Amino acid sequence: MTVCSRFRSWLQATLQRSRMESEMDTELRFHMEAYAEDLVRSGMPRQEAARRARIEFGGIEQTKEECRDMRKVNWIDDVGQDVQYAARMLTKSPGFTVVAMLTLALGIGANTALFSVVNAVLLKPLPFRNPGKVVALWETETAPGSFPLTGEDYLDWRAQNSTFEDMSLYSWQNSYNVSGKDGAEGASVVRTQANFFSLLGVQAQIGRTFATGEDQNGGSHVAVLSDGFWKKHFGAQQEILGKPLELNGESYSVIGVMPAWYRVPGQADIWVPLDMSKDKLGKRGSHNWKAVGRVKDEVAISKALADLRTIAERLEKQFPDNNRNVDAIVTPMREDLVGDLSSQLWVMFGAVGLVLLIACANVANLLLARATSRRQEMAVRGALGAGRGRLARQLLTESVVLSLVSGGFGVVIAYGGVAALKASLPPSMPQPNPVEVGLAPLTFALVTCLAVGILFGLAPALQSSGVDAGETLKSKGSPGGSTTKRGHWLRNTLVAGEIALSLALLIGAGLLLRTFAHLRATEIGVQPANVLTAEVKLPESKYKTFDQRREFVDELLQKLRVSPGVNAAAITTKLPLLGGSNGYIHIPGQDTGSMSGPLVESTSIRGDYFGALRIPLLAGREFEKDDYELTAKFMREVIPAKTDEETKAVVKKYTLRAVINQTMAQTFWPKQNAVGKIFEHFVRLEVVGVVGDVKQGRVRSKAMPEAYYPLEWDLDMPSLSIVVKGDGAAGALAGTVRSAVRSQDANLALMHVRPMAQIITESMTDTTYETVLLGGMAVLALILAAVGIYGVMSYVVGQRTNEIGIRMALGAERGQIVGMVLRQGAAIIGIGIFAGLAGATVGAKLMEGLLVGVKSIDPATYAGVAGMLAAVALLACYLPVRRAMRVDPMIALRYE
Amino acid sequence: MDKQLDLLQGTLDMLILKAVSLGPLHGYGILLRIQQISKDRLEIQQGSLYPALYRLEHQGWITSEWGESENKRKAKYYRLTAAGKRRLLAEADKWNRMTNVIAGILGTKPEEV
Repeated sequence: MTVCSRFRSWLQATLQRSRMESEMDTELRFHMEAYAEDLVRSGMPRQEAARRARIEFGGIEQTKEECRDMRKVNWIDDVGQDVQYAARMLTKSPGFTVVAMLTLALGIGANTALFSVVNAVLLKPLPFRNPGKVVALWETETAPGSFPLTGEDYLDWRAQNSTFEDMSLYSWQNSYNVSGKDGAEGASVVRTQANFFSLLGVQAQIGRTFATGEDQNGGSHVAVLSDGFWKKHFGAQQEILGKPLELNGESYSVIGVMPAWYRVPGQADIWVPLDMSKDKLGKRGSHNWKAVGRVKDEVAISKALADLRTIAERLEKQFPDNNRNVDAIVTPMREDLVGDLSSQLWVMFGAVGLVLLIACANVANLLLARATSRRQEMAVRGALGAGRGRLARQLLTESVVLSLVSGGFGVVIAYGGVAALKASLPPSMPQPNPVEVGLAPLTFALVTCLAVGILFGLAPALQSSGVDAGETLKSKGSPGGSTTKRGHWLRNTLVAGEIALSLALLIGAGLLLRTFAHLRATEIGVQPANVLTAEVKLPESKYKTFDQRREFVDELLQKLRVSPGVNAAAITTKLPLLGGSNGYIHIPGQDTGSMSGPLVESTSIRGDYFGALRIPLLAGREFEKDDYELTAKFMREVIPAKTDEETKAVVKKYTLRAVINQTMAQTFWPKQNAVGKIFEHFVRLEVVGVVGDVKQGRVRSKAMPEAYYPLEWDLDMPSLSIVVKGDGAAGALAGTVRSAVRSQDANLALMHVRPMAQIITESMTDTTYETVLLGGMAVLALILAAVGIYGVMSYVVGQRTNEIGIRMALGAERGQIVGMVLRQGAAIIGIGIFAGLAGATVGAKLMEGLLVGVKSIDPATYAGVAGMLAAVALLACYLPVRRAMRVDPMIALRYE
Repeated sequence: MDKQLDLLQGTLDMLILKAVSLGPLHGYGILLRIQQISKDRLEIQQGSLYPALYRLEHQGWITSEWGESENKRKAKYYRLTAAGKRRLLAEADKWNRMTNVIAGILGTKPEEV
């Protein structure tokens, strides 16, 4: 009953507000008139009676307000009123509103955009069925790091474990030739076990994924396409199922298309079944495959790892030669996909959060200044019966309205920002979920707006609610007479805070900039000028034998050499900075054990490789025709060998030749001439030359020991890279190389055609990206902080215009006055910089992983950035003083 | 007692309920009745009556309707609801117990301790 009647009274009140108002009015008037009549009856003159009645009744409007409160209609009413009022106040001072909104919209927009990335990459569950149970599987080896699986180990793991629902094996991404209308094009292909998609729990958008058994007996010739490849190659035609697709000269038929959001692993274009025949997966000891597993629902991931480790231990005992120190590694899938990018993302997200805080401090300052000039208004409202809480609520409503409207613009900025981020995301950035401004980022934006609105609205609300109405009204709200100590303190703290935050950001950006400069200046070991690279893949179906492949390479090299504009040409299995393969070596006399010997990078080359990339020859000689012939002769003998004994017999007869890098020479033959030394890598090899180091992996890592072999050694590699050096711009050689390859085999696609310089730039994209992003934020922070301190100093100086006028009239020097004001500013700046330096030392520790060649506490960077910030801040202080001193003292004196 | 007493905190609601329990009254009438039955010994700030009336009505203890006053004017009359009756009994009971306890405490003589 009561709930019901309460609701009814509330509903009535809300719906029939005007009726209620007039009724209330009638009721109260009746009361006073009835009382006045009684007074008249007792002999009081009518006029006097009416006056008495009104006085004894008390404040009519206050009573009415209290009555409305009792009906609980005020809440909605107040909010409506406050919002209207806030809108009026905001449109009344467009300058303030535009500055505040722009600041906030940028801050909220940047945060929402970056949150979209964080959400997609780090927070949102992977788009798999029960994603928490999907793990990546790796192995360890004697050498440090995680290694791909060997086929035989995988099969044993899969058969013997009791903790996994299932496991699935898949290949690295390989470039394949896809025949199209206009010749061949390259596509990235991943071969997977048939259960791959069903293990992840993802379905095709058209057609189906692989069926059980399609990975048996050589593997069915069926293909699943990525959405991107389907659109690019087939123009998104709906009747796609059963369409033929020629991959490396073999015909496949399309059975399905994956949804656009599906991007695992990486940027694969096509998936085809992996031939799971045991003899095709390779022997123990050759780590070739990637694998995923799905742990049983009720089993913890740590249990699953323990299970695999037990199996690995058993295998180690069973196969001591190949499986020495081979253990299992189980990584949650997200960690495997995202890797060390998560720290980069969190640093960026933290930085953009700081920018928003600075923006908040700025707007809070603007509001504080305004609140001071509105003290009169607040005092009047207070005198008319508005409670402190009520006044604070009105101010908060104003700031929340401001932040919500700015947030609206911020979301628009976020859409633009996400589009820009997507276009420029480093290719290494995994996107298991598409990066988009979805529900979660929008919710994030809304919550941020509310939080931000309350945060920067709190300061002025607190300040205003402590106003003494009487004092303020007496001082007539004159700008000079009504500032409180508390107001100063708040404003100064905010500005010092802003300076501290932007200093921390600037230092972060400065450290990244130094990292970037360091990497740019790092010796990669090659001279990229005028060098073009490209990749070809010789399909096994057409180039079956060693000699077919060798002939192709010979002819292609010959054609390239005589092409116009080409100075040097080479073919290699591996390009600088792009990683590659490595193997264990053994050095006679330096006993290191069979599989546990030192790990050495291996590159096989043919042609003028060192000349084209200007890798200096430090000792001995380069490969000669004789060296290539010797290796070819060896390969022709060793390939047909059936048994291990036959192979060993051939191996014994030969000593092949190798060129090694400086690091390898210094590692194994320190202070000796390495030329003429012997090492074993499957076969005995004699060092004929030593060349300069070339970075094999990332620019930031050290060069590893590396051996170069004649290309004949590795002719069966799936893809070969062409390196040509010309007279002019590298790009101009693309046509020459393309026509040379086409003239030899029209079905071969030329893939990854790019100048060597581009490979170097691309290898640094993550650092470039970090630097640009953090640098941008730091500049934004600097501008905001400068605007903030300028605003506060203008205000402070404005307040002291009168005083400055008096001082000037009494003969004060300009310098003295400037000094007086700057001292005030310098104190705030000094505190801010001090706090900022302290904060930066902590913050920089967090981003240590992103830094190369510079320590997280780098005095030069810290001092330089702090000096720059101090200069900008002092300039922001000086401008208002200069303006104040231009004012005629007479006007200044009248300013009060 | 000559001097008028200020109303104890929270008792106005009870007095209003009591006043309207004797028959429907308009706001001014309630004021007069309380003064009459208290023999003018209680002072009520006239304006404070109405927020209390609105609160009681919102809580459902009293209800109102428009009627005609003694001198033929439109006036809002309040009367007690069933829930209000129960409320008044409960409040009066509580009040009586409270005054007994307090009177007992204040009437304590030294030898009784």
